[in-house]
Order: sequence, then C-alpha cells, then structure tokens
Amino acid sequence: MKENRRKFLKTSCRALSMTALATQMRHFGLVNALAQEKAEAAPEVEYRAMVCVFLSGGNDSNNMVVPNYDEGYNLYAAARSSQGLAIPRANLLPITPPSMGGQVYGFHPNLTELHGLWGQGKVAVVCNVGSLTQPLTRAEYQSGAPRPYQLFSHSDQVEQFRTAISSFKSTTGWGGRTADRTTGLNVGSAIPSITSVAGATVFSVGGNTSPLIVSPAPTPLNQVLTLNGFGTTTDEVARRTSMDNIRQQDLNFTMIQNASVETQKAINVSLQLNTDPVLTATFPNTSLGNQLRQVAKLMKFRTSLNMSRQIFYVQVGTFDTHTGQIANQGSLFTQVSQALKAFYDETVAQGIASQVTTFTVSDFNRTLNPGASGSNAGSDHAWAGHHLVMGGAVLGGNFYGRPTSNGTFFPTLVNGGPDDAESRGRFIPSVAIEQYASTLSRWYGLTDIDIPFVFPNINNFTGSNLGFMM
Amino acid sequence: MLAGYDDYRRFHLVMFCGVFLCLLLSGASILANTMPEDAPILMSQPDSTKALAGRPTKRGVDTSIKIFPPGARTTITLFVTNLDLLEGEGAKAFRAELEDAQHFRHPLEIISFEPTAENKWVYALTVRLNDGIGDVGDVLVRVTRRGMTSNRVRLSIGHESKIRDDEGAAPTPNPIEPVRTENRVGLPWTGDRVRFMEQATFGVNSALELRLRRIGYSTWLEEQMEQRFDAGNAERYSTFPYPNYSPVSIVVNEGCPDAAKRVSCTRDNYSMYPLQNWFFKEALYSDDQQLRRRISWALSQIMVVGGRETVQSGRMLPYIQILDANAFGSYRSLLEKITLNPAMGNYLDLAISTKQNPNENYAREVLQLFSIGVDMLNQDGTPMLDGQGNRIPTYNQETINNFTKIFTGWTFCQNPSVCPSVTLGVVNYKDQMISNAANHDTTQKTLLNYPGATPVIPAGQTAGQDLNAALNNIFYHPNVAPFISKLLIQQLVTSNPTPAYVERIANVFDDNGRGQRGDLKSVIRAILLDPEARGNLKTDPDYGKLREPVLFITDVLRPFNPQSQAVTSTVVACNGQSDGILNGNTLILDQDVFNPPTVFNYYPMDYRIPNTPLAGPEFGIFSTGTALKRPNFVNQFLPPNNNPAAPGVVTVNINAPESTANAGVFIPCGTRIDLARLQTLVTDDTTGALLVDTLNRELMHGSMSSQMRNEILTAVQGVVSTNTLKRARTALYLVATSSQFQVQR
Repeated sequence: MKENRRKFLKTSCRALSMTALATQMRHFGLVNALAQEKAEAAPEVEYRAMVCVFLSGGNDSNNMVVPNYDEGYNLYAAARSSQGLAIPRANLLPITPPSMGGQVYGFHPNLTELHGLWGQGKVAVVCNVGSLTQPLTRAEYQSGAPRPYQLFSHSDQVEQFRTAISSFKSTTGWGGRTADRTTGLNVGSAIPSITSVAGATVFSVGGNTSPLIVSPAPTPLNQVLTLNGFGTTTDEVARRTSMDNIRQQDLNFTMIQNASVETQKAINVSLQLNTDPVLTATFPNTSLGNQLRQVAKLMKFRTSLNMSRQIFYVQVGTFDTHTGQIANQGSLFTQVSQALKAFYDETVAQGIASQVTTFTVSDFNRTLNPGASGSNAGSDHAWAGHHLVMGGAVLGGNFYGRPTSNGTFFPTLVNGGPDDAESRGRFIPSVAIEQYASTLSRWYGLTDIDIPFVFPNINNFTGSNLGFMM
Repeated sequence: MLAGYDDYRRFHLVMFCGVFLCLLLSGASILANTMPEDAPILMSQPDSTKALAGRPTKRGVDTSIKIFPPGARTTITLFVTNLDLLEGEGAKAFRAELEDAQHFRHPLEIISFEPTAENKWVYALTVRLNDGIGDVGDVLVRVTRRGMTSNRVRLSIGHESKIRDDEGAAPTPNPIEPVRTENRVGLPWTGDRVRFMEQATFGVNSALELRLRRIGYSTWLEEQMEQRFDAGNAERYSTFPYPNYSPVSIVVNEGCPDAAKRVSCTRDNYSMYPLQNWFFKEALYSDDQQLRRRISWALSQIMVVGGRETVQSGRMLPYIQILDANAFGSYRSLLEKITLNPAMGNYLDLAISTKQNPNENYAREVLQLFSIGVDMLNQDGTPMLDGQGNRIPTYNQETINNFTKIFTGWTFCQNPSVCPSVTLGVVNYKDQMISNAANHDTTQKTLLNYPGATPVIPAGQTAGQDLNAALNNIFYHPNVAPFISKLLIQQLVTSNPTPAYVERIANVFDDNGRGQRGDLKSVIRAILLDPEARGNLKTDPDYGKLREPVLFITDVLRPFNPQSQAVTSTVVACNGQSDGILNGNTLILDQDVFNPPTVFNYYPMDYRIPNTPLAGPEFGIFSTGTALKRPNFVNQFLPPNNNPAAPGVVTVNINAPESTANAGVFIPCGTRIDLARLQTLVTDDTTGALLVDTLNRELMHGSMSSQMRNEILTAVQGVVSTNTLKRARTALYLVATSSQFQVQR
C-alpha cells in the first residue's frame, strides 16, 4: 500500500497543475480554495454521475430479495417463519433474472416502484456483496484465514463500504479516490466533484478531493449556503473584508487551516448557487426524497456549473432493525422505492437517465436467524448482502455477482449452511466491495490503469467488472 | 570555536561536555528571549540554524554527517534543551515532524529520548525518517511537547538545498536551564486560566475567573466535585413532566386536550425540548455545577443514548441524572447503572434480549464504545501490534455471543410491589431494569481473557450474578484505562494528546494512588491539571480541538452576562423555556442535544481531518454545509439595529409570543446577552485596541496573532467611534466567527 500511495502521488503530480498539487499538501489546501481559478475551457465531455444511497444501520437484504421458487422459499421460510420475520410468499413481487437459470425471485412487497423499473430493465441486483480481504470459503473462515478488521461492527463495516479497503483503516474513500483520478474529466468545474447531502463521511474524501456538503430540500438550493448580516454601508463592507482576510491568517495551525478551508469553500460555492431550479418530477416529502431532490437540483445546474462528472452521497436510515423489523424496514423500503423512482423520473425529464447511475450500499446484511419474535422480530449484524443499481446505463432486469458455494450468485439460505460464516446466517461475501465499486467507477470514467490506485486490493479478487453496466 | 564539527568525528554523548563548556561561556541565546519560556528548544549549529544533529552509532552520536540519506532506515539524533521533565517523562511526550520546501509535512517516528551524560539540560532525541520522505534537500524540523512547539532547525536530506528559515529564527547553540513555571495564580485573565475554564466549564465569565484566581484550580475542582449534584433538586430536575399514560395517547390528544395550545403543549411535555432547555440553562447559568455538567455532557457523548427512540424528556432524564450523579464517582458503578437504565435498555435493546431471542446490540456496543474498544491498546492509548504490524482485536463474534447470553433476561420494572413509581400500562423509565429468571440464559459463558481475568463464568448463575461477573470482566480489562482516558481528554482538552499524556491519565485510572481503579474524580482532576493541558500559550500547530456546536455557542454567550429573555407583557409565553431555543442553533450545526443520529455520537471520535494524520472528531460535523451557520448564529446576536430601546442589550431569537398568526404556540423568547461592558471599552479607548485586546484575552486566551488583531482593529476603526454598540458588535463578530476562535487551543 505504501508503494501504491507513492506511485499514486507521483503519477497524479504529472497530471495536475501546481495549484492543484498544492491541495495535497497539508498546508496549502487553502491556496486552491482561495484561488478558485477558472481553468481553460473544458473539452466536450459527456455528463456522468454516480449517486450513492447509503442504507444506514445495516439493511436486511434477506427480506429485500427473496427466493420465490419452492425449494428456495422453503429454506427461507424455515429459517424465519416461526419468529414472524418471513415475508409471506404471496406478497413478494416476482422477478425472473435470466442469470439465475429461470428461477423466480421476489422483491419486498413495498418496493413497488423499483419492481416497475426492474420490468423496464432499469434496475439490477448485485448479489452477496461484502467486505473481504481475499476470497473466503466457510472452511477457510473457520480455520482463521485473513478477514476484514472488526466484522459485524457498525462503524467498521460502514467504513469498509465507504473506503473499499477492508485490510486496514483508510483515511480516504472510494468516492474520493475515484474523483481524484478523474479530475481530467472535470476541468473547470465550479464546485467540488463530490457533493454529500448527508454530512461528511470518508466516502467523499480523496487524496486531493473533499466534498461539498449541503442540506437537503426543502431548503432551496440558493439558501443552502448563505452568509447573513452584511449590508452595503462602508463599515459593514470593512467588516466583511476583515473577516475574509482573517480567514487567511494563522494557517500554520492545522485545525485553524482546515476550518478556514471549509468556510472558504462554503463561501465560494454560495456564490455559484444563487438560484433555485424548478424540477419536473414530484419528490415524496421524506428524508431520502428531499435529499435526492436536492441532488436533482444540482444536476440541473450541471452545465452552468461546468460539471462533467459528479458523485453524490445520500443516506437514509435507520435500518438497524434489531427489533420491530417488519414494520420499520417496510416503511423504509416504501420511502426508498418512492424516492428512487421520483429521482429516476427526474433524470428522464432532464434527459440524463442514461448518464446517472444510482446504487445502494449499507453497513452489512443482517442475520438470517431472527433476533426476537412476533412484533419484536428483528435481526442482528451480519455480513454479505444484496444491492440495487438503477439507471439507464444499467443492464437491468438481472442478477449479477460471483458464484457462491451452490454455484449461483445467491447464497444458500441455511443457518450454519455452506455460505454461513458461523451459525446464524452471516453469509460470506462472494463479491468484494471492491468489485462492486470498481464496476461502477469504470463506468464513471476510471481506466484499467486507475483501478489499482483506487482499489488497492482489487487484484486479490477475480475481475474488476461484474458486467452490470453498459 | 566549533570548527571541529566539520571533521569526521565520533561523539559519545559524554563528549559533548567539552563542546558545551565553551558554549556556556558564550552567553544567552537570542532565541531564548523570544520564545515562550516553556517551549522546547532544538539545538543548532553555533553560527546557523542548521540542526545540531547526528547519526546514532554504538559508540555515540556521529555529528560529522552533513547530509542524511533518505529512507526509512535513516535515524537522526537531535538535541533538545529547556525541558522541565516530569518523573518518567520520555519519548512518548514528544512528537517530531519535518516540512520540506514543497510544504509537505511528514511526521517522524520517535525512536528514543535520553539525557546526555554531561549536561543535564540537554537531551538526545532520536527520530526515524519514513519512506514518504525522498531526496528532498533541506527541511525544517520541529519537536513538540505539551502543546508547545520548538524552534525549527534545518536538516539536509539527500542533498543540500535552500529553504527559508522561519521568521526571526536564530541559532540556538546554547543549553538552556528550564524555567519552572508552577505558580500561575495571581495575574487576572491569564491565558492558562481562560483555557482552564474552556476545558472545565461551558465558557468563561468574570465571576468564575475571579474565583479561580483566588482559590486556584485544585481547590476549585474540589469545590465543584463536592457540590451536591442534586442541590436545588426541585428547581433543577423537577420541571420535567413524566406522562402517566401511554404515549400512543398523544395521537388522540389525551395529553394535550386544548386544541389551541396543542403544539406547545406537546413540545413542553412530550418531546426532548424540556431537557434541551434545561441543558442550556444549566450550561449558561449554574455556576456551582459547571464542572459536573461539563463532564456529564462529555460522558453523554461517550455512553450514548439517543432521544430518537426515547422521545420524551421525562424518560431520558433518569439517564442524564445517572451521568450527573456519577461524573465524579466510580466508572464501574457508572457502567452498571447505565447498563440497567431503561432508556439505555430501550435504545440498545437489552430490555428485550432474552434466552429465547437474544439480542447482540448492547453486548457489542458496551465493549466497542463504552469500555474497551475494538483494538488492544498499550497503556498510552496507541494500538498494540502483532509480529506482522497488525492491530490485535480485543474480541471476536464468539465473545459477543457470550456477552449477549450473559446479559439476557433484563427488562423494564412493571411490578408495583418492586418499583413503587410504576404506573400500570406505562413503560417504567424511572426505575432500573429488573431481571426475569425465565428469560436468563444460565449456560456457561466465556468472556474476555487477559492476564488476571476469570473468563469462564460458570453455568447456573442468576442474571444479577452474571451481570456482576460480566461487568467486572470488562472493568478489569487493561484497555479500559487508556480507552476511556483518551476519550475524556479528547472531550475536554485536545484531539491528539501525546501518548505520554494518555499514559499519565490511564495510570491514574488504574490506580488513583489509594489503590482504587476507575475513580473518575481523580481521572478528571489529572486530565485538567496535566502539564499538557496547562500553560499560558500553546504553540504546537496540531494542538487543541474544534469547539463542538454546543461549546461554540455557550463559549460565545457566557462572557457577556447571558439571561433568559422574558418579555414583560407576556411572561407566561416564555414559560421558562426560553434558552432551549438555542438548540435550534446547535441542531442545524448537526448537534441536536441528547439526540445524536446514532450510538456513534454526533461525530465519530476517530474522525480524521482530511489530508492529515490528525484526529479531529468535531470536524466530522464541520463542513461546507455547516461552516456558514456558525457566523450566522453570531449574526443573530449582533444585527445592526437589535433592540434600539435598550442599548447594549442584544437578543437572539426574539420571537413573537402567542398571537393570531401562531395561535396555539407559546414560542420561547430566546436568550440575550449584554454588550454594555464592551461599549465602555470603546469609550475608554477610541483606537479600539482596548476592546480588541480584551476580547483576545477573554475569548482567545491571548493567542490572537498580530495580523488578526490588525484586521479587527481596521474594521473597528471603520465604525464611527461614537457608535459604541456597533464597534463592540463588529469586534465580537470578527472574533467569534474566526477560525482561530472555532479551535479551542
């Protein structure tokens, strides 16, 4: 890794101007933020955006995608029915992924809108994804083979999904590193290439990338970042000048510098976001709906902001359903399904449906074995889970992945079975986070050369392209 | 006189003797006069700022080397002086780094620190380069200790080149006898005393400053710790409604039958608002409880119960009372009380974890967040590494499974004969949880193993016996001391304490000197009186912590005589709930008091400042999205024409009381501050210097740079001197909105 990091710095230095280079330095971050130089006009580059939807708390994807053929459903029901955690078979929304040999599966009944998009080929499922340092079988796991640090812990698994590095704690995320390697596609951009509508996380931090962070709708876009209290009288102008000048003092103190850089970035961006665009689609007034609405508004400004590549981060929770899962996860799925559909419709209206790819990540899947019963029924922290990818460039209506012990992309739903790490249905991933993420980042603009820089452990796994993107 | 340095020679440490004898005769160094008295000094060549440095060899330090080769195998010995060392203080007390001509900063690993044999004021500090430092030429090297940076001296790596010295840098060839700076009591508003107030309270004020000056830190700490935490209990805790019916009834408005007042009735009875209001009142006004509330607030961010599930203040209050009551008590006792608290039981599901349906949530978080953390730690808080350099997990899933079993069987006390405060049909959040033998897993459990541990808990014990065994098993784990000590230091003093500081506190945690383990009173005293916390000035560029939103706001308000706003004509409307409106300000800064988004607190304690190796937990919620909301908060207090009828009095969030426009809502009236004191300073000195220097002393403990001072003076002088209020506002706005103030250092 050290070697990679050095190479990474060397290579990127060649591509960047001195000013951009300076942002890598601990002390000169402000130079870039303050300079806000407009680079030469960008060559015509097609717009592409990735939207990361973090299902916070650990989504139980065992109830998101369920086998709907006799043998598969029976195993699922045997593991969950008696405690009241199984979705009744009749309620599943049926899907038939060609890659699964004609077997029928089903979406959770509340994913109505996404089921519709699956039918149009705009939604795909990537199966059994999780953190790994190398491919693992049950036998290898149980005999102590190398594994990610702190499996089943929220904070650590979240970090591994955000960094796509599971062998050590990384200070940069895969969103940030992907943005680092694609600055050449985003020349002259007026705002940072990553925007989070859900606060600061390591996902958005790269070697020389840090995110713009804005609040979600209904805050109008032209009010997400405002500095109040300055009039036009001479003394108020003087106060503003002093305030701006003070921000450039004492930058040798690391924390002061970082506070100044963030503040300056906010002021720079507030000058750019001076109107509130009107959208075509109607977004549900939910947490995720309002976040995606803000994302769609920023996308609408892509041309005036000179953005050719953008990464967005939104988050919805809490999926940490140790108890009361049936009700809680059900309403969260309704929220997710409706918000994603509205967002997809808006990208269609903006004419960029095939240029925007939305995907889910989460802390982890949950135990197949329930953690309580009846209305309390829930599940505990587990490992590999299924994820949804949505967009016009997605080869939808299908399952993707790597074979599990049974030869299909889907794990065998048996507690203590061949795909279980232990005894409660904590499935060992057959797809590493790196493979899932690199497939998305390739579509976004990474080349073969970039991949190992962004995903340093990718070569431990078979293939960096799972094939779900056009 | 030191021409010999250019020759190839091998110095034993003892050989410096001859050299230093000459130096001592040459008079005081120039720099010694310009640097703070308690800063370490890196020694240089006599006639330049080039480091006095060498390569350690078996026989001593070879100072003949002029250019050090790049690479992680290169070790360099530097010489440090002006150190007043504590007993046992050594390598862990220092950090070292170099900055190259491209302004990359590289931390240097410290290999050893030892006295030189011949001059007791000079120490040899040996550091190692790392692979990231190439053939960079001349660099500037510094060491830091206790929040103080040394001067920077030059080293050549790979080749010699030019690099600009720091402004005012001068050769430092002379050993310095350290000045002892024990007694800081006496002068008003010293930098150290102001910093102490920032660390131990919710902000400075002149009464507290005077008290500290009179009685000193130690006595004040004793005084605050001795205060009965429930003094004035009626006033402090009794204002919280504890609804005696199911919260579901709110839906049918049983609790707030008057439709016209339903909004404020719900807020004042069935939300987190009353507790938030209480919190700000205590933080701003309770001088006798400052330390207890501050520690309790810190503990609430380590042992997190979020209000999202508990919803009502009355249900959360018993948890906060536990933190208040045990802030200076035993950590073991605290751990037991929070484990059995119903709000915690609800939040992390212990209350529903049974033998039949065990729930892992509490088992995992009590280990990961409340006690030992995920990695084995050294006593100094750094992670222990195995032979391959990897971290060593403290526990695995099997451990969690066993802790899950041992914690089964506890639930809310709904039995009126056991818990007199129970109301039938209402979940009992007041009394601690009780066990139900039928739901307790009585099989044998294997818990944490470490030297001295009894990991195997026999089968057949009661839930109570098992709980006791489990909590003891956690409590005596060697990680607890460094883990909890470091978190408390980060909450109170600095985000990146040196390993030496953590170790000093962890040692107190392990044994308070009277054989007691986990005595929080001694731990907090040690944290606040440690030399790394104390001192008039901190010059280490990495020292300090970002003020979290709550402390940013209280630190701005407390110096200026804050008061709950009461509108005379509609006193009832303010309803004693005025200060809670401040929570609206911390909420948009991502700190909704007692309502963090997850058990991982408002911000992750291991958050790293982007592109640095530094921890900066509070930066996790300081972003482009929140950065401008801080100055906007300050602006709320300082609008140009606020309250012209009462000059000097400015009010935040003054809201219209109940009116036809907002019928049914008694809107809290807000908090006000008084700038009259600052206006007097404007009158007394029309240059504005007195005003700015006072703010520097009180809000920034004298750390304001001359450039920043000049900028503020320019703006102040831009306001006509007769408009004393606007001058005062201008200066306070610029100080309180500055990045320099956001960082408590």
